[in-house]
Amino acid sequence: MPLVIFVDDSETALASTRMVTNAMPIDVKQYTEATTALAEIKAGMTPDLIITDLNMPVMNGLEFLKELRAVSATSRTPTLMLTTETKTELKQQGKALGLTGWIVKPFNPAQLKQAITRVLRLPA
Amino acid sequence: MLILNSVNDLLEHIKDVQEGVKSLSSDSLMKMNNFIEKNALEVDDDIAAAFQYQDIITQQLDASLEAILSMQNSIKVFSHAFKSDEDLANGSMQKLQDKLNIALKEAKEKKERFAGKTEANKSDTDEIEFF
Repeated sequence: MPLVIFVDDSETALASTRMVTNAMPIDVKQYTEATTALAEIKAGMTPDLIITDLNMPVMNGLEFLKELRAVSATSRTPTLMLTTETKTELKQQGKALGLTGWIVKPFNPAQLKQAITRVLRLPA
Repeated sequence: MLILNSVNDLLEHIKDVQEGVKSLSSDSLMKMNNFIEKNALEVDDDIAAAFQYQDIITQQLDASLEAILSMQNSIKVFSHAFKSDEDLANGSMQKLQDKLNIALKEAKEKKERFAGKTEANKSDTDEIEFF
């Protein structure tokens, strides 16, 4: 099954994504710090989709994305930003770093499922 | 000077209260989450949204906590100037006011930025956007 990783410093935000994805045919790993996810990726983990929050302490979502693009295993991995932010400049920065898409919180569960299905080309 | 000390004490109290609210609201939802997961309950869209609102509440509180910290730092700098030189303090009063205004302005901007797609801040353009 494809591996999807979620990175969000909020435990409740991670809980909400678990609720939405637990019936989907995917493996899910969740991290409260981007640095931990990045260390596992550098150690060999190869996610098929990365979904990350933007505003996080230590390393924010855009910094994380930049680091991901510098690692060969994740240089082209589809990545979605899941955030409360709606600023166009931030979206442009993400786009320039090869971000796949932008989802504004609170997300509609059906839309999040559709986005994952679409990016991973899962059977609808 | 005394009034600034009182303002600082009040800010410290507000900071403590906000940290407590953040922690309690997260704990309460995580307890609910544990119950849902333990009993393998299915959740509807409203419950999933409620969990995300907590994240928005936390970010809103964090933004105002940042403003409080900034204000406290400005008050600290002013108090130091006041102690060392009264003339310098008179000039610093205007700087203090400017800094407090900037901290408030930034906090208000962050309130908007971190509101996400809540009921009060819905927009037709806030759908999932693919690049």
